[in-house]
Amino acid sequence: MHEYSLVQSMFDQIGAIVRDQGALSVRRVRVRIGAAAGVETELFRTAYDVFRVRTFCDEAPLEILDGGGDELTLEQIELEVP
Amino acid sequence: MCDSCGCGDTHVVPVDVHQRLLAANDRVAAHNREHFADHQVVAINLMGSPGAGKTAILEATAAALAAMDDNAGLGVLAGDLATDNDAIRLRAAGIIAETITTGSACHLDAEMVHRGLHGIPWRELDYLFIENVGNLVCPAIYDLGQAANVVALSVAEGEDKPLKYPTMFRKADLVLLTKVDLLPALPDVSIGRIEQNLIAVMPKPAMLPISARTGEGVEQWIRWLRGAGHPRAARCVIGPSATEACL
Repeated sequence: MHEYSLVQSMFDQIGAIVRDQGALSVRRVRVRIGAAAGVETELFRTAYDVFRVRTFCDEAPLEILDGGGDELTLEQIELEVP
Repeated sequence: MCDSCGCGDTHVVPVDVHQRLLAANDRVAAHNREHFADHQVVAINLMGSPGAGKTAILEATAAALAAMDDNAGLGVLAGDLATDNDAIRLRAAGIIAETITTGSACHLDAEMVHRGLHGIPWRELDYLFIENVGNLVCPAIYDLGQAANVVALSVAEGEDKPLKYPTMFRKADLVLLTKVDLLPALPDVSIGRIEQNLIAVMPKPAMLPISARTGEGVEQWIRWLRGAGHPRAARCVIGPSATEACL
């Protein structure tokens, strides 16, 4: 269930970048999650789908890459910029 | 706007972030850790499933220290979804305690602990126990600024819990095998098998059988505690099979 809180943190991180770059929206989100990170990827995906509705991530698919150990990182986002 | 022709098209640009999802939590945890170090407070993140005996261990710790005429200051921030029950019990045992009410959250994070510190005179403490929400999954990944992670695992929970919840036990500096006074009523439970399962997941296996009811293991736990967070102090290392060496 902490996946929801993790996604919330991720939205804070993404939101800061969106504001900083003056972006119009986010087009893709890539995260890396290790097998020992203590995160259930399907729950993370579900939480993301709940959070993104009517936000800057509304149209951004989530890509989850395999990470090593307890890796749990926001790797890259693709931004739509003017 | 598109620079080349002024058509109003937007661009999509990749931005490399490479930042931990828990970066914000880690920053607050580092801040908590600095606070604790500055005031020589040993902070212990006490985790375990609901009913593992976390509160009982703290009550027994206070009683044992009092019996030893050790007036070490104990404080507890008790994470609880809905009640103040643990903090009430702890205060009755003479421990400074406050509840962090988490609502629906299944874990404590560093910010909750930081806010919780405002409610207790933590600078006067020798040991601050952060009694996490009873849960073997969520609390494991949040750094709170603690010196050590201690996991309470009761003998009645099932021998395979370390294998089922490896992240939690991998993060543990010490596992307290609680309620060992119940073993006579649990003939099928083998401490040896629990120990083997801990060895399989813990980088540095350390397990201590303990009973808050009979006091078994409490003295050893206090010796371990006295070494925790004090690199220059005598440090008691508890190995598998509860073998102990004080360096």
